[in-house]
Amino acid sequence: MWKFFNAFNQHIAWLLFALYCAISFLFIKLENEDTLSKVRTGGIELSAFVTDKLLSYSYLLNLKQENDRLMQVNTNLLARVVNLETAVTDEMNSRKIVADTTLNASNFIMARVVSRRFSDRENMLLIDAGWKKGVKKDMTVLTPQGLVGRVTTVSENYARVMPVIHTDFKVCVVSAKSGSIGVLSWNGGREFVAQMEQVPISSSLKPYEEIVTSDFSTFSARGIPVGRVVRITPDKLFYTVDVRLAVDFSSLSQVLVAPLKTEPEKAIMTSDTATEKPLP
Amino acid sequence: MIVVATKIPFYIALLCVLSLLQVFGLSHLTLFDVSADAISIFIAFIAVTIGQKTGMSFGFGAGIVTGMLSGNMGLSMLARTVEGFIAGFFNIPENSHATSKQKTKRMYWAVMTATFFANAVFAAGYNPLGLSPLYRIVVLGLLESLLTLILAFIANWLLMRKTFSD
Repeated sequence: MWKFFNAFNQHIAWLLFALYCAISFLFIKLENEDTLSKVRTGGIELSAFVTDKLLSYSYLLNLKQENDRLMQVNTNLLARVVNLETAVTDEMNSRKIVADTTLNASNFIMARVVSRRFSDRENMLLIDAGWKKGVKKDMTVLTPQGLVGRVTTVSENYARVMPVIHTDFKVCVVSAKSGSIGVLSWNGGREFVAQMEQVPISSSLKPYEEIVTSDFSTFSARGIPVGRVVRITPDKLFYTVDVRLAVDFSSLSQVLVAPLKTEPEKAIMTSDTATEKPLP
Repeated sequence: MIVVATKIPFYIALLCVLSLLQVFGLSHLTLFDVSADAISIFIAFIAVTIGQKTGMSFGFGAGIVTGMLSGNMGLSMLARTVEGFIAGFFNIPENSHATSKQKTKRMYWAVMTATFFANAVFAAGYNPLGLSPLYRIVVLGLLESLLTLILAFIANWLLMRKTFSD
């Protein structure tokens, strides 16, 4: 018995290390469980609150700059409205807009970016709109310039956004001119260039074409600008396309959160559980 | 031992303050997407001056706090525990006859090694920028260790000189 206690005492540091590691692995495994998710949400709420307060001081000091920037955004928006009004006169485009029930601008939620972490350990945005304002998981985050990302975690007053420049982010995109479809992802490297993959070699994609989100996307409404083609590299079957992103992530301060795309019928049809029974 | 026990609540409070400082301040000051880690210095300091078990426990606690604030709780706990464990191998016994210079040198080695290994653990579990594992672990790991070492020089010069005196 004495020997056992002696041995235990000698190796207690290793045992403690093993115990802590085991607990850590358990936390990693159960990260998405309800209770841990709530703890994480609470942490995000606190983190965002403190960052928000810290930022508000510099925000007040930079109001003039902010006003100038907003004026610029307004000018851009006005230009877009004029362009859209012209497009509405076009019969085909007007049909598309009327048919698209997924994008309703009146339901957009405005939010301010309160924290942005872009490092080798963390890559996310925190916005000051949570479930209280109607933000839900998987909502699309955008600016008038284009797609910003996707909501991944929501707390009462804040939400965490996975930006386009995250290696786990993927979205179905389409070229506005040639109609070439592909999947946009970011493989690391420069934060303003993403990659469009699975573009067949037979497609007629050309440099400088505008890339927008496609209707195939499970979370994003179609037609949101993503960027412009800057380089096309042919492979055996597919092109690898470099896309210069429309959004400048280094100066992002205001965003819009688009309402959740609800297509239950489409979801059922694309899932494995789809049956041939008529839907209600 | 009693002196150490009375200091523990102070160290816990200091750990909480440092965790907040790290998450809201230092993590925003990056060089090549890497920032210095004040918590690593603190964990190394605890492990070197008090012991491996205490260092590990503080690392585990720091992992919980920083993990809660950043979102990667499990991985943060694991990386910080490893940090305390590694730094514990550089522990200076109470009855050590080492000179101030030797003790300080040991502390710096503890900081560098522990930071490097913690970064490697973090890199193995989470790679949001899609960097190559070798670059992420070796290059960024060494860079982070170096930045943390510079911060440790400053911390030692300002706060820890008395602890490591002869």
